[in-house]
Amino acid sequence: MNAIFEDFDDIKDLADALDDPDAGARIVAVMDLADSADPDAIPYIAKAITDADEGVRLKAAQALTDFDGPETSAALIVALKDSSERVREAAAISLTELKDPKAGTPLLDCLNDDDEFVIVAAFGGLKELRRPEALGPAINALVSPSVAIRGAAVSVIGWLQDENALPALMSATTDQSSDVRRVAVAALGFSKNERSEQTLISALEDENWQVREASAETLPKTGGANAANPLMTALDDEYWQVRLKAARSLAALKIEEAADKIGSMITTQIPNLRKECSAALGELAVPGTEKYLIDFVDDGDPDVRKNVRWALEKIAQKAS
Amino acid sequence: MPLAQTQTSVPVVVDDDLCIADKGCTVCVDVCPLDVLRIKDMAEGPKSKTAFMQYDECWYCMPCEADCPTGAVTVNIPYLLK
Amino acid sequence: MDEILDGISQIDCDVLVIGGGTAGPMAALKAKRKNPEANVVLLDKANVKRSGAIAMGMDGLNNTIIPGHATPEQYTKEITIANDGIVDQAPIYRYAQGCYEIIQELDSFGIRFQKDQNGEYDVKKVHHIGTYVLPMPNGDTVKKALYRQLRKARINISNRYMATRLLTGEGRIAGAICVNTRTAEFLVVRAKAVVMCLGAAGRLGLPTSGYMYGTYENPTNTGEGYSMAYHAGADLANLECYQINPLIKDYNGPACAYVAGPMGGYTANAEGERFIECDYWSGQMMQEFYDELQSGKGPVYLKLNHLAEETVAEIERVLHIVERPTRGHFHKNRGTDYRKQMIEMHISEIGFCSGHSASGVFVDENARTSVQGLYAAGDMANVPHNYMLGAFTNGAFAGLDAVDFIKDVDFAKFDHGDVEAERNRVLAPTKRDDGIPPNQIEFKTRRLVNDYLQPPKVTAKMETAQRRFAEVRDDMQNAMYVQNAHELMRSLEASTIMDCAEMAASASLYRTESRWGLYHNRVEYEKDDENWFCHTLLKKGENGLPESRKQDVKPYIVEIEDDEKDAYDKQRVQPTEAAE
Repeated sequence: MNAIFEDFDDIKDLADALDDPDAGARIVAVMDLADSADPDAIPYIAKAITDADEGVRLKAAQALTDFDGPETSAALIVALKDSSERVREAAAISLTELKDPKAGTPLLDCLNDDDEFVIVAAFGGLKELRRPEALGPAINALVSPSVAIRGAAVSVIGWLQDENALPALMSATTDQSSDVRRVAVAALGFSKNERSEQTLISALEDENWQVREASAETLPKTGGANAANPLMTALDDEYWQVRLKAARSLAALKIEEAADKIGSMITTQIPNLRKECSAALGELAVPGTEKYLIDFVDDGDPDVRKNVRWALEKIAQKAS
Repeated sequence: MPLAQTQTSVPVVVDDDLCIADKGCTVCVDVCPLDVLRIKDMAEGPKSKTAFMQYDECWYCMPCEADCPTGAVTVNIPYLLK
Repeated sequence: MDEILDGISQIDCDVLVIGGGTAGPMAALKAKRKNPEANVVLLDKANVKRSGAIAMGMDGLNNTIIPGHATPEQYTKEITIANDGIVDQAPIYRYAQGCYEIIQELDSFGIRFQKDQNGEYDVKKVHHIGTYVLPMPNGDTVKKALYRQLRKARINISNRYMATRLLTGEGRIAGAICVNTRTAEFLVVRAKAVVMCLGAAGRLGLPTSGYMYGTYENPTNTGEGYSMAYHAGADLANLECYQINPLIKDYNGPACAYVAGPMGGYTANAEGERFIECDYWSGQMMQEFYDELQSGKGPVYLKLNHLAEETVAEIERVLHIVERPTRGHFHKNRGTDYRKQMIEMHISEIGFCSGHSASGVFVDENARTSVQGLYAAGDMANVPHNYMLGAFTNGAFAGLDAVDFIKDVDFAKFDHGDVEAERNRVLAPTKRDDGIPPNQIEFKTRRLVNDYLQPPKVTAKMETAQRRFAEVRDDMQNAMYVQNAHELMRSLEASTIMDCAEMAASASLYRTESRWGLYHNRVEYEKDDENWFCHTLLKKGENGLPESRKQDVKPYIVEIEDDEKDAYDKQRVQPTEAAE
């Protein structure tokens, strides 16, 4: 008769095979230790992180996703400096899977490392763990010459949602890298601060369309008292994706003056934009804007005509 | 009714040089939801055992490839729907 | 290899969970955590590490109710409308209230959900009305994270054992009979409560590719839960409401409108235009899909080629890594590129699955079936629009209730003759010298399903199916032949598939109206609210054949206004807030 249940083997017995002269056998041992999900296995897998064979080290770096805590992160930090790129990448991914805030302590110590890859990976882990101590180093890292480090740092700051970091986030919206700018712009969403709003308004003129899109989308979150005119200008953006977000944000902010301009955009050939503009007109429900919609009641696109009919109803309700 | 043997090309391919079934690894066999992989003895060559696809009953779902620790397994799309 | 061995053993446990895919692990975990003294056994015919519908992961949650984005009332209302009103709202409402806690728990397991740049859940709007979709950027790690929790909780996991029949006695559940898929040895499990989490009946229709395992659902989900519940005397609801899904043609994987939709992708006809009028994922939507395929405007496509390069790259990253990662290989073979052309879509073969429709083993808000001590959760239970999060949440409810149930009961006595009879049934194909292999029995059954049961449904065709099924069943019982334990598993699956096919025919013939769009489109009958605004419950009759009856829909918890019902009839639901 086969064993009916999966085993709960003794960790020491499983670990014995880590001393096998054959790398394949050592890989099998690492996998068995990982399957145990028993924290007693961590020191043995940590040992396998320094194995002579790349395959064993790779498996160990992956296997550490099954564990948590400072011992696990310390072992992964070792793997971040591995000679093999595959091992380094695996360790960086495993770091993002940590959930125990205590696992962040060894990561905080890495933020002064001289290796760019190590710092980026450490920020990656710290972001998920939301350790407030990461805020200071992340703010400092925004002046790093490395784009990767600045990108990782700005993400950490966004997740911590700390008002004290606003000046740093604002300056990151003018970073050289559009990726950093985009994250910084979206990260300002938690703030109701007027200066944040001014920063987002400036970002509506960013040279990169995805930054402009992020800004148009984020503006209503910050309050948007001053955003009306800049968002109206964004309705002329060369990218329809930006025009679409601007229209929806104007509607969310109840900027009735935007209705005519949004209405005139419905003639666009782009169905997604027609759909969202008609939805925006319904949300604004400004009497007199029926004229923009009426020709599209039977639009060829079902999503457009549904929104058009809905919008007409909303405008009629408002009028009565 | 008597039975015939019919040939079929199978989608999962194992690189015997990379496979470590001879060291006790059974990951691909374990993780297959349809249980179509097996370990077989090798008559010649340096390895005593290797994994292979025994049954052509594949959902091309890929845990065998994703979980193989040595990258020995490749999942192709079955010919009939490729 | 896979040699058939003679053997039988018996074990006892408090709670037996059958099926280690999605609902099952959560049921086992919740039961064990609520009562650490309880002996909880989790059984799977594959290996729990990678079993069930989400073996390779999932790209997102389709139905989250997260405070600030949606309310339980709003969700319950929408699901009621999407299912044409034929739902008991209590399980839907309870799910809607409980699922946020489950999301947070899954998050703590290390399953990541998409968060915005402030670390808040980044819920997307796909339905026209509510905001329910939460992408999972590392959804490929779901099973691994669950397995880790099971090991930590020291759940007894039994892999490669397939349950074939439930045991009952004293009017309640007594356990299950199982067979090892590698050795054919038997395992009788006595249990005070049994939780069935056996997934959809996904190997019912035959995919258009002709490859038996190229199904929409994981083909390991053959509908054993439906079959076992049926033979144990449980009620099954609304089985005529089939599951049919849009998919990438031939590849048969989901088209993932839920991923592409929020990013601007959509389903289009050959002219590149949207055509779906319906606001809900429903039979009505599938009817529109079917009509477009049949019309001169077909085929139907997934359209992404109007999106910016940056957006397409992001969609690809998600679609090709998670849930069905071979999708990237498939497109590469075909030379198709989302940037350059639209991707041909089609509709799936039929199946049973509550993930997308309101059919399955009938359960209440505690996941209790009509058999005392027997629970069901996930795709096989009739809580509509379950999807993955429903499986987790209702699995949790089942585990929590089951572990309370066992406090006051001992093992129910059962007839040992039942075990002997089941052994004889299972092993019969091993006792012959030659005969028909299970794959031919299965292929023929499924080919008949396609020929005669696939909607549009026609009475004469379904009656023909019943006659032909009876012939194949006779062959299966008297001439099926297997050579090893693996084939024995396939023979048991063939038997399950046959049970489901017969239930599909019987349930479809009983409801003499059309309802749920394509799912139950009976061309000879109109929709008939006067006579058929009710559940249909199917169970095994005295004569061993399926028997159906009507059951009233329970009074709603969340009222649906008349104009909202009308709106559904017109398929032009008025959004309360506009779509994104």
